Amino acid sequence: MTTAAIDAVGLTKEYDNGRGCRDVTLAVGKGEAFGFLGPNGAGKSTFVKMLVGLMTPTRGEARLLGEPIGSLAAKRYIGYLPELYRYQEWLTGEEVVQLHARLCGVDRATAARRIPELLAEVGIGLRGRDRVKHYSKGMQQRLGLACALVSDPPIVFLDEPSSALDPIGRMEVRALLERLKERGKTIFLNSHLLEDVEVLCDRMALLNNGEVLRQGKVSEMLQERVRWRFRVSGFAPVLLTWLREETGLPVTLAEESGRMPAGAGVADAVWLEAELENEEQVGWLNALIVGQGMTLYEAMPIKERLEEWFMSAVSGLSHRGERG
Amino acid sequence: MKTIILMTWKELLRKRVMLLTLLLTILFLAAFWFLAKTLGHEANSYSGFDPNGGQAIVQRFSIGSFTLMLGFFFGSFVIAFLSIFSSFSSVAGEAEQGVFQALLPRPVPRWHWYAGRWVGYVSLGAAYALLLFAAIVVITGLYAAVPRDAASLVKAYLLFASAVPLLVSVSMLGSCYFSALGNGVFMTMLYGGGWLGGMIEKVVSSLPLEEPVLRSLSTITGLLSLAMPVDGLQRKMLDALFHLKELQGLISLGDGPLGLFGGQIPSGLFVWYAVAYMAAALALGLRAFRRKDF
Repeated sequence: MTTAAIDAVGLTKEYDNGRGCRDVTLAVGKGEAFGFLGPNGAGKSTFVKMLVGLMTPTRGEARLLGEPIGSLAAKRYIGYLPELYRYQEWLTGEEVVQLHARLCGVDRATAARRIPELLAEVGIGLRGRDRVKHYSKGMQQRLGLACALVSDPPIVFLDEPSSALDPIGRMEVRALLERLKERGKTIFLNSHLLEDVEVLCDRMALLNNGEVLRQGKVSEMLQERVRWRFRVSGFAPVLLTWLREETGLPVTLAEESGRMPAGAGVADAVWLEAELENEEQVGWLNALIVGQGMTLYEAMPIKERLEEWFMSAVSGLSHRGERG
Repeated sequence: MKTIILMTWKELLRKRVMLLTLLLTILFLAAFWFLAKTLGHEANSYSGFDPNGGQAIVQRFSIGSFTLMLGFFFGSFVIAFLSIFSSFSSVAGEAEQGVFQALLPRPVPRWHWYAGRWVGYVSLGAAYALLLFAAIVVITGLYAAVPRDAASLVKAYLLFASAVPLLVSVSMLGSCYFSALGNGVFMTMLYGGGWLGGMIEKVVSSLPLEEPVLRSLSTITGLLSLAMPVDGLQRKMLDALFHLKELQGLISLGDGPLGLFGGQIPSGLFVWYAVAYMAAALALGLRAFRRKDF
């Protein structure tokens, strides 16, 4: 049996205000990129803080590459970029990374070789000799990445790694994370930039109110909802009502939702969208459309984006009053 | 731990805490030099005694002792505030700023962090105390008689500098529980309370008060000295330097109503109490820091 890079069982942190993290169980394999999603206040940072040893769990246990969280052995495996942090303003960027290298036990020769490379890789370069107090927030975030990676750790925890970066910076960080993934690093990404999670992560979990509601492969979770789009002509609004009543499915006119343009090349063509229970219903819906005298030009599945999936999942919680 | 000690020194130097302190110390020493010179000339020009006679020697020693006490009175304030203000935000301040978020996940035992910071603050504070102590003694020695017994000087320095580890220990402990600002206020008031207790004792010793009043005041000052033993240690330092009991009646050290040097001299047991107080504060701080969530 191979040891998981991150293995948490029933990890719980209770705060006095009743919030925190409850009974979180998840495993992340070696070399996997894992996205950790959830609305603000869901408990994502609390969970990460327990894993990196900043907080002691109230209950449960977790291991990093087989070592109990909080132990020095576990800490040797990790690089961590926190969400809310500041580095010592009275040090230069280079000195901050050197400090982290020394604390991680990186020998001087390796540090001397690696630090300039890292600073260049995260986009700080020669500004490494400036005092941190002169850094912008984005520069500090880049510096944080360099610190997280200075010991070449097998597991990297990143809490909103590009929240303060401009679009170019975000692209650079995403490219850096892709390179880390190619090098076999385990990446635990806690981010609101869902596009990054979608592109980079193999699996993900959705946390709400301190509990894991869903977890699985990103590709599978995005295909959970079977949504199809139909380009038709000869459409009349009354037919939409009829289709809804006949099928019991949420059939909508795509233009209403502002998602799709009307069909090109056909004057009265429109797009209909329907969320189906299974793929078999596509043929049935096709037949109903044609049976009502409409002309069906094409039918295609909608590839759901993570942002839509997240919005749908979170708004569902919000409707049920479960949002934290 | 060496890395953390070096980081602490670098912090105090880069933040210009030491630079500012040294600049102000130079100003103080210049003023003190002028004072010592003036008082020394006063003693030397006193024509009432034979310049080589016993009374003249006593007079020079009396002036020297008075000058030294003035210097140490100020010096004890400086090292107390340096100790408090260098360390009062060591835990809370760094937690509030988010510095620990990136540092504590590193593979370093938490007690190394705490102990490393403690050693860093105490070592710099003690070095500064040595500089100040030596400067006060040397300047006074240029113009008046000062104790030259090495054992007394070493013992007095150790007592003078003992305020540093004691205050740093309490300040760092407070920093584990209070916000940076709250801890700064707490430490200033705690130190002020101990100082007030010492002052009350000095004033009371020279006032004609009824026995019950004296007993009540003595209880209050005793409790204040137990809550913050720094002022008691400074009185013990003066005793180590001048052997005050032996000198009683021989020289006058300004025991007026607002005299700086009155009051009881704490016993040896009080010094052990202060050591235990400091050790307990350090141990409790280490324990609190190890258990603290960041």
